Amino acid sequence: MSVLQTVAAGIVLVGAVIFIIGVIAVLVAAQRRPYPSELAPVKSSPALGVVYAFTLGMAPWAKESARLHWVAYIRGIVIHIGIFIAAAFLIASPWLAQMAWPLRLSLAALFGVAAVLGVAGFGIRLGDPAMRLLSTLDDYFSLALVTLFLAAGAIAAAIPGFLSAFWIISGITLAYAPFGKIKHFIFFVYERVIIGRFFGRRGVLEWTHE
Amino acid sequence: MSSAVELEKDKLAVARDMLGSLVDRRVLTALEVCVRCGICTESCHYYQSNPKTQHTPYYRAEMVRRLYRRFFDPMGRAFPQWVGIKETKDELLTKLSNIAFSSCTLCQRCTFACPFGVETAEIMRVMRSIATATGYAPEMLVELANLAITKEESADMFRDLYMEQIKDLEKEVQDHLGNSKARIPVDEKGARILYVPLAGAHTIVPEAILFNSVGASWTLGMFEASNYAVFLADRQKEKQIANRIIKEAEKIGAEEIIITECGHAYFAMRWEVPKWFGRLLPFKVRSILEVLDEYLSAGKLHLDSSKNTQLTTYHDSCNLGRKGGVFDEPRRLIKASVKDFVEMTPNRLGSYCCGAGSGLVAVPEFADIRMQAGHHKAEQIRQTGAGFVVTSCDNCLHQIRELNEHYGLNIESSNVSQLVVKALK
Repeated sequence: MSVLQTVAAGIVLVGAVIFIIGVIAVLVAAQRRPYPSELAPVKSSPALGVVYAFTLGMAPWAKESARLHWVAYIRGIVIHIGIFIAAAFLIASPWLAQMAWPLRLSLAALFGVAAVLGVAGFGIRLGDPAMRLLSTLDDYFSLALVTLFLAAGAIAAAIPGFLSAFWIISGITLAYAPFGKIKHFIFFVYERVIIGRFFGRRGVLEWTHE
Repeated sequence: MSSAVELEKDKLAVARDMLGSLVDRRVLTALEVCVRCGICTESCHYYQSNPKTQHTPYYRAEMVRRLYRRFFDPMGRAFPQWVGIKETKDELLTKLSNIAFSSCTLCQRCTFACPFGVETAEIMRVMRSIATATGYAPEMLVELANLAITKEESADMFRDLYMEQIKDLEKEVQDHLGNSKARIPVDEKGARILYVPLAGAHTIVPEAILFNSVGASWTLGMFEASNYAVFLADRQKEKQIANRIIKEAEKIGAEEIIITECGHAYFAMRWEVPKWFGRLLPFKVRSILEVLDEYLSAGKLHLDSSKNTQLTTYHDSCNLGRKGGVFDEPRRLIKASVKDFVEMTPNRLGSYCCGAGSGLVAVPEFADIRMQAGHHKAEQIRQTGAGFVVTSCDNCLHQIRELNEHYGLNIESSNVSQLVVKALK
C-alpha cells in the first residue's frame, strides 16, 4: 500500500468513525424527544400502515407529485440507488483488484450517470426561483459532496489508480453526513414509520377503502 | 434597553422555549427530513389557486425550520448563515404567525405528495402554538375559544333559553315526522348516545329526525362540538373545551359520543383527545356519518334516491377524510339518497381543501385569502357539472356556499344528514 493510499485509508476510516458516532448522536437525540402515544382506539392497522408507507405508498402511481415531476422523481431514484451501491462499493473497494472488469465497468457507468444527475441538481436548484430562494449553503455543499462521491466512485471503479481520491472524498462525505442535510437518510426511516402508523391506525390509506 | 426591545426579546425567548418543548419526535422528523426538492409544490390548494413561492408547502415549513435551526441545530447555532438563517426578530414572528394561520389550512395533502411524507401541518401546528403564546394569533379565534370556556362556567344561565329553543325545534321534528311523540331529549340520563351538535338548528333538526326515525336511544348535548382552541393549538384550552363534553357524557352515562358533521370536532374528539388527556375515554366516539351508515346497512334507514334528482357531488372534509379515515360512509349515504352521483377529481385521499379549514372561516380578515385559496375547489366543483354539492363539515359547507356566490357556480349545497332527511321514505 502506497503512502497516499495509507493516508486515504486513514481519512476514510476517520470519516467512518465520525459517521457512526454522528448517526448514533442523531438517533439518541431523536429518541430522547417525546413521542406521545396515540391512545384512541384504532380504525385499521398501524403495522400495515407502515408496510404500506414503505411499499405502495412510495409507488409513483400513488403519488400525483411523482407523475407531475417524473423527471425529478426518476433523478432522485437513480441518484439514491447510485449512492447506496457506491457505499457498498466503498466497503468492497479494498478488494477492487479482485472485481471482474464487466462489474467494475457497470458500476462506473451507474455512478457516472448518478453523478451527472447530481450536477443537474445544481441546475434545478439554481434554475427554479422558489428553490433558489429556499436553498441553503448546506443544500449546495451536500449536493456537491454527494456528486463528488459518485464521480470519484465512477472513476475509481474504472481506473483503480483513483481509489485513494475516492477514499478521501468518501471520508469527507461520511464525516459531514450526520450534521448537514444528508442526515435526511436517517429521518426518512422515521418519517415513513411515523406516517405509516399514524394514517394506518386511522384507516386513511387506500387499501382500507372501497 | 427600551421596553419594546425587551418585549421583543421576551417573545423570542418564549418562542425558543416553546419550540424546545413542542418539538416531539414527530415534529423533529418533519423538520429534519425535508430536502427542499420542491416536489410538493402543486399539492397545495393555495399554490394551485395562486402559484407563487410563498404558497408552496416547503416555503412555509422552511421558514419555521430556520427558526428551529437558529435555536437548536448545532450547525445553525455555530454557523447561522450556513443553514439559511436570517435575523430572528419581531418581524420574523409576525411573518411566521401569518404563515401558520392564514397560509396553511393544515390539510396534510402535501404529506402525501412528498417522497418522504413531511408533515408540514405538524410544523404549522407548532408555529400556531408559538403564535398563540406570544400574542400573534387571530383575535377572533382567541375570543371564540374563550367564549366556549365561559359558556361552561355559566351553563346554568343559558340552560333555560337553550331548552326553550330546543322545544321549538322539537315541534319542527314532530311536524316533519307526523309523530307527536318524537322528541329532542337534552342531557337525559341513561341515553346510550350523547349527540354533540354545533350552534345552529341545521345540525340538530335533521339528526333528531333521523334518530327518531330509527328509534335510537339518544340525547342532545348542552355544548357545541366546535373546539376553536384546536385552531390555536392551545393545549390547555383544547382540553378545557373538550372536557365539557367528556364530563357531560360521563354524567349521563352515555356509551357513545356522536359528533355532528364537523371536521375538526371529529378529528379532535375521536383521535386527539385521548392523547391530550393521556387516557382512553370510557365511551366510543364516532361521527354521525358512521352511525347513519350503520343504520343504513342495518336496514333501519329507508331512503328513496328518486327524491333527489340533481347530479350530486361530494367534497371530502380533510379532517374527516385524510385525517380521520371517513371516506366511504358519506359516499354510501349519498349514493342511497340521490339519483346521480359524480366524484370530483381528485377525491378522497387526494381531495383538495376547500380553503376554509383550520379556523380560516372564522376570521373575517382572512375572507379574501379564503376565497382565493378556494378557487381550485370551485373549479373542481364546476368540472363535475353537479348542481348539488354535499359535504360533511360545517366550515366546508360555509365556504362552498361563499365560493358559489363568489365564483358564480350556480349550485345548491347541504350537509349529508340534511340530504338523507330529504331522501327519507
